[in-house]
Amino acid sequence: MSNSVETQQQSSKFAEWIKRPYLRHVLLIWIGLTILLEFFGPVQARLMGAPASESMKAIEDTMTLFTYAAAPVAALVIAVVLYSIVGWRQPKGAGPSDESPAIRTNGPVTTVWVIVSSLLCVFLLIWGLGEMNSLAPKATSAKPLVIDVIGNQWAWNFKYPDNGNIESNQLVMPVDQPVIFHVSSVDVVHSFWLVQLGVKVDANPFRVTLAHVTPTTLGRFDVRCAELCGLYHAHMQTDALVLSPSDFNQWIANGGHA
Amino acid sequence: MKRTFTALVTVLLGATVVFGVASFLHVSNQQNPPVMATVNGTAQTSQGLLPHAFISLSTYPDSLAGEHGPSGGVHPDWVSYGPSTAISLPAHALVTMTITQYDSGEVLNNPYFARVWGTVATPGDGTTDGQMLLDGKPVSQVDPNHIGHTFTMHEITSPGQDSLFVSVPLPAVPEEEVPDSGYSKTPHVITFSFITGGAGKYVWNCEYPCGDGTYRKFGDAMAARSFMSGTVTVA
Repeated sequence: MSNSVETQQQSSKFAEWIKRPYLRHVLLIWIGLTILLEFFGPVQARLMGAPASESMKAIEDTMTLFTYAAAPVAALVIAVVLYSIVGWRQPKGAGPSDESPAIRTNGPVTTVWVIVSSLLCVFLLIWGLGEMNSLAPKATSAKPLVIDVIGNQWAWNFKYPDNGNIESNQLVMPVDQPVIFHVSSVDVVHSFWLVQLGVKVDANPFRVTLAHVTPTTLGRFDVRCAELCGLYHAHMQTDALVLSPSDFNQWIANGGHA
Repeated sequence: MKRTFTALVTVLLGATVVFGVASFLHVSNQQNPPVMATVNGTAQTSQGLLPHAFISLSTYPDSLAGEHGPSGGVHPDWVSYGPSTAISLPAHALVTMTITQYDSGEVLNNPYFARVWGTVATPGDGTTDGQMLLDGKPVSQVDPNHIGHTFTMHEITSPGQDSLFVSVPLPAVPEEEVPDSGYSKTPHVITFSFITGGAGKYVWNCEYPCGDGTYRKFGDAMAARSFMSGTVTVA
């Protein structure tokens, strides 16, 4: 009997709470902002161009999913802030009240907030670990192509140790063959960023760092430096060419010339 | 009224600050007039008959002969290129560049830049693609342990702009032949040619660390504009 009364009282409290105008306003702002963020948020994952490797595809998918998951949370925070600034602003001409309202915790809201946040974090953690695992090098019959990547102020050069130490200022790779990069620098710290192929790794002076990728798309892509490295850092760019195996072999046979 | 006035003043102050910063950046990025390539006739190349342009630069162990004026500006002891670090070239032309190298040097930190990259044969001087003329002799690379400077030109990858990568090593003048004042009587003379594409903006810089010891000799002249780096405008 007493349980029934308590339940009725709680339902009544909730009904009263949900009818408050400020809550409806915040909810409306939240829904509107969520729709906007869900619609426009994933655009940033597309700004680097169409993925040209499985790695980049996985990175783009992860960025998109994380954006979808984070959009309602971000929208709720922004909605509360916006309503606090606009809806609860001090009326014109009125002085500040002598005493602020007491602040009490709200058990159900806190509980829901913690549970939803935890579930979201666990889901994203599991997704992220899965994607990281999928990026690990896979056993394949194709022999990996080794390329030494050397950063200089302010140009890249590439050496092919298994192909007669051919050198080039452009990164040339065959499609569908695993590539292992030995990344280093001869002066300051650079960052080797193969944009559309989803490779970004620091080029440390006189230290070799490994990175790998398997290009899946023919074409011309961007190589940039992603670490502020001096006067012409912005100009430390070159092209990456992904060729068919026959064209790549021809390029090698020509000593690194088209 | 007071609030509106305060808001207006704040906006004006902000705009003044932005304008000041933009003006400062604009002035500090201005370069001296570029050294222009001069077209003199045509030349037969792998891309057909092209206008043949000529341009000359020099590298000095100080800043007294370049674009910083006879006083050398604020850093007269810094190494420099001259007469200007801004270069203007014609589009779709064979460009023959001559660099007179007066400076001493040491070991290049990446042997890649001891090789000649991106050049084509200069008509009549016996060079082939990938070579330069060093003191009258065609070479495709030099000793990386005795490098004075390099001239390395590259581009920002941008849609529609032709790729242009040219790099030549400039061997060092022996230390004992670099006088305390004035310049060596036996500089190295390096001549090479390359073909420009369409209009575009490029940069060049020296790949031999010839600045101070701030970080592996990449300070001072290597870290400032108008000494060992500059711009190339192809038009």
